[in-house]
Amino acid sequence: MSIDWITVAAQIANFLVLVWLLKRFLYRPILDGIDAREAKITNRMQEAVLAKEKAQAAEQLHLDQVRALNAKQADMADAVQQEAETQRDALLADARNRLEQEQAAWVAHQDEESRKYAVKLQRAGGGALLSLTRKALTDLADETLEGRIAQHLAKGIAPMVADLRIAAGKSNSAVITSRDVLPPSAKDDLMSSLQTVFPDVSVQFETDVDQPPGLVLRIGGAQLDWTVDGYIDSLGDLMDEQLAAGVDLKVVPK
Amino acid sequence: MFEVWDIPINATIFYTWIVMALLTVASLLITRNLRPDVPPNRWRTMLEVIVQGIQSQIEEVAPGPSRHLLYYVGTLFLFVAMSNLLLVVPGFEPPTASLSTTTALALSVLIAVPLFGITSQGLGGYLKTYLQPSFIMLPFNIISEFSRGISLAIRLYGNIMSGAVIAAILLSVAPFFFPVVMDVLGLLTGVIQAYIFAILATVYISSATAPPKPSQPEKEIP
Repeated sequence: MSIDWITVAAQIANFLVLVWLLKRFLYRPILDGIDAREAKITNRMQEAVLAKEKAQAAEQLHLDQVRALNAKQADMADAVQQEAETQRDALLADARNRLEQEQAAWVAHQDEESRKYAVKLQRAGGGALLSLTRKALTDLADETLEGRIAQHLAKGIAPMVADLRIAAGKSNSAVITSRDVLPPSAKDDLMSSLQTVFPDVSVQFETDVDQPPGLVLRIGGAQLDWTVDGYIDSLGDLMDEQLAAGVDLKVVPK
Repeated sequence: MFEVWDIPINATIFYTWIVMALLTVASLLITRNLRPDVPPNRWRTMLEVIVQGIQSQIEEVAPGPSRHLLYYVGTLFLFVAMSNLLLVVPGFEPPTASLSTTTALALSVLIAVPLFGITSQGLGGYLKTYLQPSFIMLPFNIISEFSRGISLAIRLYGNIMSGAVIAAILLSVAPFFFPVVMDVLGLLTGVIQAYIFAILATVYISSATAPPKPSQPEKEIP
C-alpha cells in the first residue's frame, strides 16, 4: 500500500485521454444518433400530424364536394322535374286544344252529315211520296200528276191574269217547262187557257230534268212556279213537328 | 514491468491501457457505422442503454442537461466497472486495485469539482461556497473537500484490494471452491463500487455547481 506519484500522474493522464477517446468514439456518436433519431421521430410525428390534418382537410373537401354535388343534383332534378311538368302541361294543353278542335270538327262534320242526311232523307221522302202520289193517281184515277197539274194550272191562271200581264209586259212568247213530257191533253188545255188570256202569245213546251215535278210558266219577265217543290220543302218541317210531338219512330215488326 | 523510451511502465499503467483499448476499440467498432439510414443493431442498442442509463442516473442526482458531466462521470464509471469486471480474467490485475490508480481518480474528482463549479457559477460564486454558511466554516470546508477525495480513493482501493486479498487468502485455504465464489462476488461488488464511485463523484460535482433554474415559477402559498 504505497502511492507512486509518477503512476498517479500517468493514470490521471490516462484517464483524461480515456475521457477524450470515449467522448469522441462513444458518447458523442451515441448521443448524436439518439438525438437524430428523436428528431427523426419528431419529424415523422409532425409529418403524421400534418398528413392527418391534410387527410382530414381532404376528407372535409370531399364531403363538401359530395354535399355540393348532392345539392346540385337535387337542384338539377328539381329543374328537370319542373321543366318536365311545364312540357307536360304544354303538351296536355296542346293535346286538349287539338282534341277540342277535333271534337269541334267532328261535331261540325256530324252536323254537316246530319244536315246532308236530313236533306237526303227529305228528298228521298219527297221522291217516295211523289212516286206514291203518281202511282196512286195512275192506279186509282188513271191520271198523271203533270196532267192534273197542267189542268189545275189552266184553271188557276184566270185569277192571276192581271198580275201576269203587268209582269209579262209586251212579250209575245211564253215557255212552259216541265221535268217530264206533258201529255197532249194537258198541253192542249194549257195552250187553250193561255191563248184565251194572252191571244197574241205563242206557247212553247220544254222539259228540264233538274226541275222539280210541276210546271214553270215564263212570260217576259214574269215566272209562275206551279211545282211540288214547296210541299217537299215543307216535308222536313212536318217531320220535325212529328218528331217534336213524340211520335214513336220505332219500326214495329209485322 | 517494461520500459518505453527509457520510461518504466508498470503493470498498473499497462493494464490501464488494456482497459482503455478495450473500451475505445469496442466503442469504435460499434459506432463506426452509425448513420441515420442504418437501423440500430443489438450492440448499438446495448451502448445506448448503457449511456442513457448513466445519463438518467446523473440527471437524478444533478438535474439539468450537462454533456460534460456525462463525459466525465460516465468515463469514470465505465473505466472502474471494466477494470473490476476484468478481475475474472486469469492473470489480469485490475488497475483499480492499485492505490496509485484510485488516488489518481480521486485527485481527478478533486480537480473536477472546482472546475465544474467555476464553469457553472464563476470563480467568485464558487469561492463563496467555501464561506457558507459563515466564514468560520472556511477551514472546515477545505478539510471536507480534501477528505472527500481521500475517502473516495481509500474506499475504492479498499474494496477492490480487499476482494483481491480475500481471494488470495481463500485460494490458499480452499483452492478450488472459494475463489470461484469470490470471483462471482467480485463481479457484483466491482460494479457496485463503480456505481458508488461515479455517484459520489456526481454528488460532489453537483454540490459545487449552481442549482438549475426552475422551469416554472413556484406558486405562492397563501
